[in-house]
Amino acid sequence: MRSDGTLTPRGRGEIIFYRGAAGPVTVGAFLDAAAALAARLPEAGHAVNLCGDRYHALLGFAAAVLRGHPTLLGGGPGAAPAFLDMAARNYPGAYAMVDQERPGTSMPLCRVDAPSAAPAAGWPAIPPDRVAAIAFTSGSTGQPTAHIKPWGALVQAAEAAAQRFGLREGAVTSVVATVPPQHMYGFETTMMLPLRAAVAIHSGATFFPSDVRDALASVPGRRLLITTPLHLRALVAEGRPLAPLAAVISATAPLPRETAEAVERDWGTPMLEIYGASEAGSMASRRTVEGDRWLPYPGLKLRPGVATVPGIGEVALSDALEFDPDGRFRLMGRLSDLVKLGGKRASLAELNRTLAGVQGVIDGVFVAPEDLDSNPTSRLTAYVVAPGRSADDILGALRGRVDPAFLPRRMILVDALPRDAVGKLPKRALAALDP
Amino acid sequence: MTTQDATALQAQSADLFESEVARLIVGALSLEIPPEEIDPEAPLFGEGLGLDSIDALEMSLVISKTYGVQLRSDDERNHRIFASLRSLAGHIARQRAG
Repeated sequence: MRSDGTLTPRGRGEIIFYRGAAGPVTVGAFLDAAAALAARLPEAGHAVNLCGDRYHALLGFAAAVLRGHPTLLGGGPGAAPAFLDMAARNYPGAYAMVDQERPGTSMPLCRVDAPSAAPAAGWPAIPPDRVAAIAFTSGSTGQPTAHIKPWGALVQAAEAAAQRFGLREGAVTSVVATVPPQHMYGFETTMMLPLRAAVAIHSGATFFPSDVRDALASVPGRRLLITTPLHLRALVAEGRPLAPLAAVISATAPLPRETAEAVERDWGTPMLEIYGASEAGSMASRRTVEGDRWLPYPGLKLRPGVATVPGIGEVALSDALEFDPDGRFRLMGRLSDLVKLGGKRASLAELNRTLAGVQGVIDGVFVAPEDLDSNPTSRLTAYVVAPGRSADDILGALRGRVDPAFLPRRMILVDALPRDAVGKLPKRALAALDP
Repeated sequence: MTTQDATALQAQSADLFESEVARLIVGALSLEIPPEEIDPEAPLFGEGLGLDSIDALEMSLVISKTYGVQLRSDDERNHRIFASLRSLAGHIARQRAG
């Protein structure tokens, strides 16, 4: 089923959300609410989705698609002020979709959860080339790079995922997800999947291990947990039983093999992983215990350095890929200076530029420790030359300009950085500065 | 024992427990700051100690392992629980007792 001009081809009676005490929501009720909300949106603009509740987040996204407004991904209830400023500055008519009070927001607000009047007549068909979402990555240019997501491309990706994970056969699968819907992985799995596959999303809190256990116990049928290595590590380490699962999916960073083995053994369920990137979306999957090779999604073409994504075209990859003759591939490390933490990525070059822009900083550099990918408590270190300024001063200046995950956990103030003749900083020389 | 004595004793044991939780957090998160230097009234997240959501997950794990206390997001008091070391230690102590 290619983009058919509607938000969803699903039957109106199927369940699309489990909203805890508010009860289940059918596809029909959801579509009516989205059509009514679309009528309340501004004439033109760009939607910044800051909703914390998954139901509100999808309602907002669906209404924006009907209305022809691209949704800027990267928000969420804890959106960084720098992201909101960028959205307001670069996107005409940017407005924020919210489901709670948000005083001091620098753009017009639209309450997604406010009651809407009865829906006007139906909205026109959604053309496949309509820009439904824009994802952002931090590049080395100092400005976030925008990645356009046409509706047709998102539909094809969701249908490829549904096929890969067997989400179109038989009964509706209940999805409990720990990833925010405004992050590319969470967007694909908890915003697009419920529209294009037979899944119902749990909309309550899922942050702490006890939240996840309660959420899984509260939904019926075939259960799918969509999460990250960080959450899985905590859930496995706690060692408490979970409701029966049909599968667990993880993405954002490679899952340690021991965690995958523990999930398969302790929960009796397949542990699957998705390989993806904000630029291209989900590209491949694997069952971790079967080996380190990834199987590309149907319809997607991969070659070293480049993905060809249906509806989007060629996208440069930031990982080195090594292919086997059967089309499966291995990840062989990063091609760029990107660092990943908690599912977010940043460019070291851009972080260094931000640091250099802090008043009083003469020179400075961010360093990623060797164990950044494997140790959840591992964070960046910064070496800074800033006579007369304290580490707290500099940290205070970085807050709001740098995502909290990338703020340096150790800040080492030095008299000078050990730059060599060409201005480079050998790692060993830097390490020698540690107190 | 007078009521005043009892209150003083209680306050003292709360202080001790606070330092214990501080040591636990600093150890679990490999923080650079010595536990005794954490301001018990300062925010744990954002400004103050500067923790983030990855740390919150790690903290929930070590708190569950050590005290058998489960942190939950839908807890209405969550904002207050994580407001400072003092409020977090108080929450753990109450949950453990209850």
